[in-house]
Amino acid sequence: MISATAWRESLFKALANRSFLVGLLITGTVALMAALSFFWTPYAVGTFDIAGKLKPPSVAHWLGTDHFGRDILSMIMVGSRNSIAVAFVSVMIGAGVGVPLGLWAAARGGIIDELLMRFNDLVFAFPALLSAVLITAVFGPGAINAIIAIGIFNVPVFARVARGAALSLWPREYILAARASGKGAARITVEHILPNMTNLLIVQGTIQFSLGILAEAGLSYVGLGSQPPMPSWGRMLFEAQTMISIAPHMAVFPGLAIVFTVLGLNLLGDGLRDVLDPKLQQVR
Amino acid sequence: MTLLEVRKLSLRIGPVETLKGIDLAVNAGEIRALVGESGSGKSLTALSIMKLLPAGAVPAGQIHFNGRDIMAASEAEMCGLRGNDIGMVFQEPMTALNPVKTIGEQVSEGIRLHTGASRAIAEERTRRILDRVGLPSSKFPLDRYPHELSGGQRQRVVIAIACALKPKLLIADEPTTALDVVLQAQILDLLQSLVDEEKMGLLLISHDLAVVADIAHSITVLRHGEVMDSGDTTRILTEQTHPYTRQLAQASMHIPERTTPRYRPPHDALLSVRNLGRSYRGQRAGLFSRHEDTRAVDDVSFDLQPGQSMALVGRSGCGKSTLARMILALDKPSRGEIRFSSQRIDQLDEIALRPIRQNMQVVFQDPYGSFNPRHKAERLVSEPLYLLDRPLSAAEKRERVDRSLERVGIAPKDRGKYPHEFSGGQRQRLAIARAIITEPKLIVADEPVSALDVSIRAQILDLFADLNGRLGIAYLFITHNLSVARAVTDTVMVMADGQIVEHGRTEDVLRHPQSEAGRALVEASPDLHKALARRIGEQG
Amino acid sequence: MLVYASKRILIGIVTLLAASIVVFSILEVVPGDPARLMLGMNATDDAVRTLQEQMGLNQPLLERYFRWLGGLLTGDFGRSFTYSVPVISLIAERIAVSLPLALISLALSTAIAIPVGVFSASRRGSIADTASMGVAQIGVAIPNFWFALLLVYVFAVVLRLVPAGGFPGWNAGVWLGLKSLILPSIALALPQAAILARVTRSALLDVLGEDYIRTARAKGLTRRRVLYDHALRNAFIPVLTILGLQFAFLLAGTIIIENVFYLPGLGRLVFQAITQRDLIVVEGVVMLLVATVIVVNLLVDLSYAIVDPRLRSRS
Repeated sequence: MISATAWRESLFKALANRSFLVGLLITGTVALMAALSFFWTPYAVGTFDIAGKLKPPSVAHWLGTDHFGRDILSMIMVGSRNSIAVAFVSVMIGAGVGVPLGLWAAARGGIIDELLMRFNDLVFAFPALLSAVLITAVFGPGAINAIIAIGIFNVPVFARVARGAALSLWPREYILAARASGKGAARITVEHILPNMTNLLIVQGTIQFSLGILAEAGLSYVGLGSQPPMPSWGRMLFEAQTMISIAPHMAVFPGLAIVFTVLGLNLLGDGLRDVLDPKLQQVR
Repeated sequence: MTLLEVRKLSLRIGPVETLKGIDLAVNAGEIRALVGESGSGKSLTALSIMKLLPAGAVPAGQIHFNGRDIMAASEAEMCGLRGNDIGMVFQEPMTALNPVKTIGEQVSEGIRLHTGASRAIAEERTRRILDRVGLPSSKFPLDRYPHELSGGQRQRVVIAIACALKPKLLIADEPTTALDVVLQAQILDLLQSLVDEEKMGLLLISHDLAVVADIAHSITVLRHGEVMDSGDTTRILTEQTHPYTRQLAQASMHIPERTTPRYRPPHDALLSVRNLGRSYRGQRAGLFSRHEDTRAVDDVSFDLQPGQSMALVGRSGCGKSTLARMILALDKPSRGEIRFSSQRIDQLDEIALRPIRQNMQVVFQDPYGSFNPRHKAERLVSEPLYLLDRPLSAAEKRERVDRSLERVGIAPKDRGKYPHEFSGGQRQRLAIARAIITEPKLIVADEPVSALDVSIRAQILDLFADLNGRLGIAYLFITHNLSVARAVTDTVMVMADGQIVEHGRTEDVLRHPQSEAGRALVEASPDLHKALARRIGEQG
Repeated sequence: MLVYASKRILIGIVTLLAASIVVFSILEVVPGDPARLMLGMNATDDAVRTLQEQMGLNQPLLERYFRWLGGLLTGDFGRSFTYSVPVISLIAERIAVSLPLALISLALSTAIAIPVGVFSASRRGSIADTASMGVAQIGVAIPNFWFALLLVYVFAVVLRLVPAGGFPGWNAGVWLGLKSLILPSIALALPQAAILARVTRSALLDVLGEDYIRTARAKGLTRRRVLYDHALRNAFIPVLTILGLQFAFLLAGTIIIENVFYLPGLGRLVFQAITQRDLIVVEGVVMLLVATVIVVNLLVDLSYAIVDPRLRSRS
């Protein structure tokens, strides 16, 4: 979309932005760790070693072992896949449903727009946890519940962002010029509206991704997310809770993994916003 | 007595030197105009005097106000001066007032701060100053909020804030640029009478010589952060010794050469509008009251001949843009009909409109908002080719784009650039290139030069005149600026409150306006010719 | 004002109705017979029939919905299947824990966040600003239940200052009750405060860039006075919005945190109900929480009008 020089300029600006750089490094590390876990982990996560249970960090087990003697580092590595997958798919659901809805409402206005706003109000009244409670109550627990619950909550977020951005773009003179060139609402939306809000959507996507990681951890902590034997950060914390007085390391490291990942994504989002949003670039 | 003296004022923002050794003086009771095009450093000069520069701006040089050294003054001393001895009025009245505070609070705040007056006394003074600026408290009680006032009224509140304590110096930074000509004349009048009454010094900043020619005692001309010319207004304008001053003055009075339009009999009107109306559903006043409809356009009828250039003039909010949008089929009329080349177009759907749209294109005001920032010039200019019945090959498309670019004076090799790589004037040329690419019969231009500096404005007006002569394109030129109307149009329609109140040959209407709205516009329009004539007359 | 307020209230009521339909229909889409689902596969047909009758499952759908809705309005949430008591009495008992917890956390996070945000904005770029925003950046990334675990470890396990969990009940004395809510509310409040402080700061900085701030400065007001007299009230609107949205997260957080501290609140109730398949209880609790979120957001909408005169005069 953008010329090579403009790309280079943005890239340069991005790398000069400390938040972006640190965020990119952190998220890159987490992504690599998740990818690596498909091929190699220090120990297999399925093997129990009751004799070596609840060991604090050591040379053999960098982050120690849990109450079944499983290696915590390996569990965290494999668990990252779960967090990333759930958060990613829910962002995709949110953006995939929400963005078209928002664009449609902005293009049509009137009753359609009003209906969308009321739909947003309704969905906002169901925090992901409550949706997950309802879904689990009916269908029983599972990782898919977390995805659906978080995904549903993302829909109005993206719808609202897309609608707001589109509404601010529609009165622009270049949109009027496109209309004077005979282009219909759908075509204008694809050619002019959507490309001019990609930055915003990327930033929002990053934010929702990090919220998704947090929400997934919360849901698996209370047993509404992914189920054993698949390791997940939230459930590792749940299991650590009963051992807190004898094996605090079981609680510390999965939590740090969550903080590290979410912090990285937030920094990345902040950096992207500074780099991509021309309004914020102005020095005040 | 010299009230304000600025000597060798320089300003750095990062690596850029934005002001380069500016000298400037204002005497008590004097109106000093500071004139320059965008980027000349006018506003930064004003903010330097107030010491309200943006973070990172480093000033150097000397500023003395009323015997005090401003450069050495502490922030506390400046707070004592600002609003008390130096008042300031800003360009944009719509955003200059705090939306959550009443106008009474905002005016009396400064009075109480500087005089320590009680609430009652401050409110009394507030009432007096608001009354003085034309907002009597019988009609504008102190508990009004800014959003309940119009732009002109808000600017009066800003002036009241600045003048509440009868400052020795008033700085007005483009105080009328965001207002229409009639409001502009009223605000300038108000400023002049305040200066006369209180023997204030006024530093009046403007981008247009014509605006200040009438009221300024002296003028300083700025360009790229340097003083080009400075002195008594009459001398500056009559002698025009400095080439840049001459250039500004000429650009301000510029009238393009035009071939006289051929007269056409009225039966083959290109555009024919009959009894056109557009109502908007208004806000409800109360829970159970009905919607009050507002008529933006009300019973408008006129004809436009092929090749004719017609101006539609009127104050802001008179309905001219709504009318333009209906003609362009971007908005549906509530009543009446529009015919283009005898075909009725106001009820057509998008597909049926395609051949019409080919022959009717548009140029907008804002050279920055007119283009999708993510597309290159070629794609931007070729957009209306979408209207053609058969899609063009890439080569054909490029040929049409190049021809169109050449016609507006842009090198075809620039077709690969993005809009931000063009200057404001070039962008307006691009907008025109886009409008003429389908070789339309009519271009509707909505304030196409009002966002441009005067020298660039003159060039764009030349281009409009040239295309009218060469390609025979008819124009509907929407503007609030009568000198623009005079420059490129054959006939003028004056619009007021949604209706056409006057219609005639441009020369006739501008010289002898018949309607009240027409007279108001003509009288209020800044006119360098008239200002010059008056000054020469005064000199004898 | 009247037009704005009545429109918002109307929207709130419609949203509540729509939410009730959503919650109600969740029970209806249960695969198979809810009564059998609740009783399990080994239940006798008689038992299932009795429960069906008790739940009114043999009546037409619409009638059941309106009866349920009417029940909600009169405080009749149905009878719990496992506890054999009215759901409303279960909720009443549990809400005595959850509501104080949510309110204390909300108050705590606001009391921390707003001063920090204002202080940071007023000293933009200073070491104090950078440090507090750095802490906030990390605070936003901390899951409250993990923070709760760490607090339990430090203050209950190592220092033994407070109980690790459990709730003595308000009958045991207000102070003992409050004491067991200290750690949970800190765990809930601090991550929330981090978000709110960031929003407060950026909202203030946005406002400080507005034209009317310059007008106020040109009047002779000091930076400080401009911040407190002009900027703060304008920045309040985005802060209120976030506060409203946060309330939903706070409720969700309350439910999760109750599990860390073994607090007998709505969260424990709802998770026990899920394990015991006590759908009526789940339905009642969820509906109550959803209604709370809707009402809080309605209150936020109405308070906009108090801050912003433009909303008051416009319909």
